[in-house]
Amino acid sequence: MEKKLKKLLQNATRVAPKISKKGELFELRNGLVSPYPQTRKDAIKKTIQQMTLGKDVSSLFPDILKNIAASDVEQKKLVYLYVMNYAETHPELCILAVNTFVSDAQDTNPLVRCMAIRTMSMIRVDKILEYVEIPLRKTLQDENPYVRKTAVICVAKLFALNKELCQELGVLEDLISALEDSNPMVVANTIAALSDIYESDPTVVQLPLLIQKHVSQFLLALNECTEWARIVILGALAEYTARDSIEAEEIIDRVTPHLQHVNAAVVLASIKVLIKNLPLIQANAESPIFSKISSALVSLMSTPPEMQYVALRNIRIILQKYPQLLTRELRIFYVKFNDPLYVKLEKIDILVRLVDPSNLKQCTLLVAELKEYALEFEPEFVSRAILALSQLAVKYSETKFVRKVLDIIVELCKTRDSFQDDCLVAMCNLLRHTGSGEEDMVAQVCSLAQAWGSVDSLLQTDYAKCNYIWLLGQFPARFNNIQQKIHNFLDSFTQEESLTQISLLITVVRLHTSLPGSLLQELLNLATTSTNEVDVRDMAIMYWRCLSLEGSNDDLINQLCNSSLPEIATTLDTFSPELLETLLRELSLLSSVYYKPVATMTKFNANRNDSLKGKHLDELKFMARDEIIKNMNEDHLLDFDDDSNSAINASAANGSTLNDLNDLFDFTPAQQASPEQRPVEESMHKLSLHKNEPSQEHSKSSNTQDLLDLF
Amino acid sequence: MGNFFSSMFDRLWGVNKELRILILGLDGAGKTTILYRLQIGEVVTTKPTIGFNVETLVYKNLKLNVWDLGGQTSIRPYWRCYYSNTAAVIFVVDSTDKDRMATASKELHMMLQEEELQDAALLVFANKQDQPGALGASEVSKQLSLVELKDRSWSIVASSAIKGEGVSEGLDWLIDVVREEQL
Repeated sequence: MEKKLKKLLQNATRVAPKISKKGELFELRNGLVSPYPQTRKDAIKKTIQQMTLGKDVSSLFPDILKNIAASDVEQKKLVYLYVMNYAETHPELCILAVNTFVSDAQDTNPLVRCMAIRTMSMIRVDKILEYVEIPLRKTLQDENPYVRKTAVICVAKLFALNKELCQELGVLEDLISALEDSNPMVVANTIAALSDIYESDPTVVQLPLLIQKHVSQFLLALNECTEWARIVILGALAEYTARDSIEAEEIIDRVTPHLQHVNAAVVLASIKVLIKNLPLIQANAESPIFSKISSALVSLMSTPPEMQYVALRNIRIILQKYPQLLTRELRIFYVKFNDPLYVKLEKIDILVRLVDPSNLKQCTLLVAELKEYALEFEPEFVSRAILALSQLAVKYSETKFVRKVLDIIVELCKTRDSFQDDCLVAMCNLLRHTGSGEEDMVAQVCSLAQAWGSVDSLLQTDYAKCNYIWLLGQFPARFNNIQQKIHNFLDSFTQEESLTQISLLITVVRLHTSLPGSLLQELLNLATTSTNEVDVRDMAIMYWRCLSLEGSNDDLINQLCNSSLPEIATTLDTFSPELLETLLRELSLLSSVYYKPVATMTKFNANRNDSLKGKHLDELKFMARDEIIKNMNEDHLLDFDDDSNSAINASAANGSTLNDLNDLFDFTPAQQASPEQRPVEESMHKLSLHKNEPSQEHSKSSNTQDLLDLF
Repeated sequence: MGNFFSSMFDRLWGVNKELRILILGLDGAGKTTILYRLQIGEVVTTKPTIGFNVETLVYKNLKLNVWDLGGQTSIRPYWRCYYSNTAAVIFVVDSTDKDRMATASKELHMMLQEEELQDAALLVFANKQDQPGALGASEVSKQLSLVELKDRSWSIVASSAIKGEGVSEGLDWLIDVVREEQL
């Protein structure tokens, strides 16, 4: 009796697990195996608390697992949470939970059923996956839509964990039949699961075909499901190409109401579907659908700044396809004083693109607005505004207007310190647009630049220096002491970046008749020996060769020195048509924010390194060619403003690299090459011969053999 | 705070306290069937238990937390995770499986050596008495060398989980012993 009393008192005094000297884990373990249910539950809560704090409580795994089979849903949830977190650290112990998982998957409570199947398919333990079949099959046919929708997602998870098993079990067929489900949530989740599977392995399911079969169901389900499900379904619809204009019209009719949804992602996804179907119905610009899209885009401008940014990036893509879309809404894109910088920069970009060049009033208003921006204090913002002024002038193109803008920029250049770089670039852009015909404008710019004392300390960026040197080369008569100015740059040649180096090279060659020969000699020496830039070196070698050719090459030199570049028509960058199409398909995805198609962002880069190994020369050749073509497209994109390499030049230059590449791989031109070119060709071949010689011992590939035969 | 008081009262009056009882044995001995015979009084169709089943049942005013652990060779090493705070062990033997009697004996004695089980009472069910060729309780007892056990209350009962014979008698004995010794 005394013993009993003692025990009773002892129990009564120890209520909650206290922190003893033996440590927290010991106390928690004691609590977890306590004979009192409430104490066990408290201990589980404490353990989860520790887990979320980041402490390692994985050693309690077996004790926690004992509590998994409880009728209390709250406790079950906590235990499941723990198991999900630590299953990977105790894979062998997870097997103890299998029985519970399987019986929980038949629980009367749908929430418990979901929890069981969800956990089973997400913990990366192979032993568990062996037992997943029956519960998964059962839950896929469950009467409760919430359970079915969870099970559908679980199939995708299972596929990601173990593709072979998933196919073996045949649950993919169940998944496909779930597309016919009466509940829109289930349909949406099924589509999401199928797209995931399709993305990781396109051979397993015929997603496009399935979408095609179920389009009408999707359209019906669209109105009845949650935002998330809507986005998924709209994403699937965007993959589908309508059979004819009638079907396209129906899709457009069904999707249009969703443009008014509060969720910006739904709006963008709807726009994506509409843009996909618009070409099929041949809508003209007056069609009401455009005004609806336009007002939907405008509504996105009243969202938080982060979402505005995404919207602006997407608008930029849409605008290139439909430039007339938002012209009436210019005012919306005016920068507000409290916009974050990243939104401001995008807005300026959109403003210049949006403005109608035939509308003088609008343009004049915008100039005034941009001028205001240029008087702000954020440096990046001011730079962008100055650039935008020049872009706008080039876009409007009329001389009087350009002159007015130039006056503004000159004024800015004089009044605002530390923006000379941007002003100079902007002014040079204007001059490139008007050509050298406008004497007074040239004089205005040159006298401003002439007045600057130490140019190399005044101008900071590579780009501005490059433009300054271009100015010297283009209008040498307007500068005094040009030799000294160039000499200054020459002294710091090795520290300059590549654009400045190239520009210096071009200018000095252009002016070589009026400059002392030593200057040219020094520059060519520097450019061929002390630079790491391959382009600069190649260019220098090319010039050197041209200038030192035997015989009378006055024509060639004349052409080199006195050619004038074509006038630039626009300084706004555009996407290549292929890129535009891809981006329009990927609207509202991350790729539309980066302007990089999904294919180039992740998978391709990951695979590329592996794929390079074990390829033959032929394949490599094609890969290299593709790469160059792709880069060419990117160049278009990156041409924010024009300097010496305008878009045309850029593509020409790329074209020549392509030819070079062809030359490198094709050996036939060697025979047809003109006598003067032969030495170059031959030295090139020697070079490649040397490169190939060491590998010849390892593998006598037919290509090396051919090469050797040639000599 | 409410939890604090309710758990204090629980402790003071001993209500809500659960007795842990483990059902162990080799695979296929009939542990899960016995568990559900105790719980719902019916025979359920079972599959090999991967892991465990646990049921709470009230028997003679006592709350029993009965754990049925899987008996497969791969799971047996994990029995030890469940030993702490155990009031009694029910060891189930397939009386028709003469070949594995030695294995069962070995597992039983190894388990009983565990420190955490020193105070636990032992009940052995010589199960499957409904089957022809089943060994009697005394024969099973001999084969398992139960007489060698010192300092432990133990008993062996011939049972048939399918027919429901012997199961409640065995549990009656176990509860009496546990009540006497541990409460």
